[in-house]
Amino acid sequence: MNTVLELRGVGKAFAGVPALRDIHLAVGTSELVALIGPSGSGKSTLLRCCNRLTEPDAGEVVFEGSPVPAGGAELASVRRRMGMVFQAFNLYPHLNALENAALAPRRAAGLSQGEAEGAAREALERVGLGDRTAAMPDELSGGQQQRVAIARALALRPRILLLDEPTSALDPELVGSVLRVIRSLKEDGVAMLIATHEIAFAREAADRIAFLADGEILECGPPEEILDRPKSERLQHFLSRL
Amino acid sequence: MSEFFQTFLNLEVMRESSGLLLRGLWVTVQACLIVVPGGLLFGAGLSLAQTLAPAWGTRALSWGVDVVRAFPPLVLLVLVVHGLPFLGIEPPPLLGVGIALTINTSTYYGEILRAGILSIEPTQWEAARSTGLGTAATLRHVILPQGVRNVLPDLAGNTLEAVKLTSLASVVALPDLLRMARVAQGVHFNPSPLILAALLYLALLWPLVRLIRRLGGRAVLPA
Repeated sequence: MNTVLELRGVGKAFAGVPALRDIHLAVGTSELVALIGPSGSGKSTLLRCCNRLTEPDAGEVVFEGSPVPAGGAELASVRRRMGMVFQAFNLYPHLNALENAALAPRRAAGLSQGEAEGAAREALERVGLGDRTAAMPDELSGGQQQRVAIARALALRPRILLLDEPTSALDPELVGSVLRVIRSLKEDGVAMLIATHEIAFAREAADRIAFLADGEILECGPPEEILDRPKSERLQHFLSRL
Repeated sequence: MSEFFQTFLNLEVMRESSGLLLRGLWVTVQACLIVVPGGLLFGAGLSLAQTLAPAWGTRALSWGVDVVRAFPPLVLLVLVVHGLPFLGIEPPPLLGVGIALTINTSTYYGEILRAGILSIEPTQWEAARSTGLGTAATLRHVILPQGVRNVLPDLAGNTLEAVKLTSLASVVALPDLLRMARVAQGVHFNPSPLILAALLYLALLWPLVRLIRRLGGRAVLPA
């Protein structure tokens, strides 16, 4: 299995307080890696360091064999191929679903308007919203908004999706629809790195789970190993409180 | 009471001075056609420069904006119109007035637009950047459409002020609406032309005033 994304010794501190320490983690083609751990353990920071929305202080991030460039058009090109989905969706409220998903294909990837809308439509169909292309974000439920956000990332045909607690802002009854979409993407072979509190989902869908605490990966391995035979006290404690 | 009407609402005087005042109205409209688009354009430039400049540049620009805003527009007007000829530049009066008032009003438009840009959550920038959109595309397609909508009532309000500001031009002898009303007042020894001028300003500004009402009555902030 080829590696799509690899973090090598990534570290980050905010105002002197370490948020990530010496993170080593690789995600292979069509692999789904789940990040679990208590709030504030560094899951979001880890994801944001991958596409340099947060600038790491130490180590390097390697994407498809090359270090992620520091800036400019090269970084923009890497970001297009590394889709990101945020906890709070962050849709563009003034654009409808289709326009949300077509904006970057048109303005960042330089596709024609027709091609961009085609890619956007296809992505919206993939998340089950092919019939809501004209809907404005505030006309959609939270679950539908998050699926539009996933489609916005997918429309660029990324090599990996970074998902930052994609269901944490959703009402419980809407969580399932988003997880179903993520599962179907997994079946299509989309590589994913997902921070989540949905342990049952991680157990069933993830190839590997990494447990983060205080900015460090304490354990990483197949779901059964991490969830059923936790080695560290921190992880045992974390799992016992779920 | 009839003496009041004779003095302030003398229809005879108004009728006789209406030609003069309409010529003045046209000059005022021309001044507005320079000052409003010019102010918006330079204001947009100012707000973008302050958004994109490094911290020290933003501070320097803010400082400059504050100085201009604290500077009496009348003095600025006199300095530009009567000062530029000393530098060998002699713009036509209308253009001189246009330049001075554009400088003044662009700082207000600029601050309003900057507030609009700042009203948009940083998460919108992040969402755009995460898809590989550059700064220019993010501003044009994500930030400005939302930010400008948020400050539309303020932009319209400042436009109202900018139109009224052009009446200062009468001081430097530009034959604008107010100036012509003062001339007519002198000719007739009667202030009725001033009332007529006020009515003409009202007619000019009424659509804008109503627009501001409508904008203000509608929730323009995104959910």
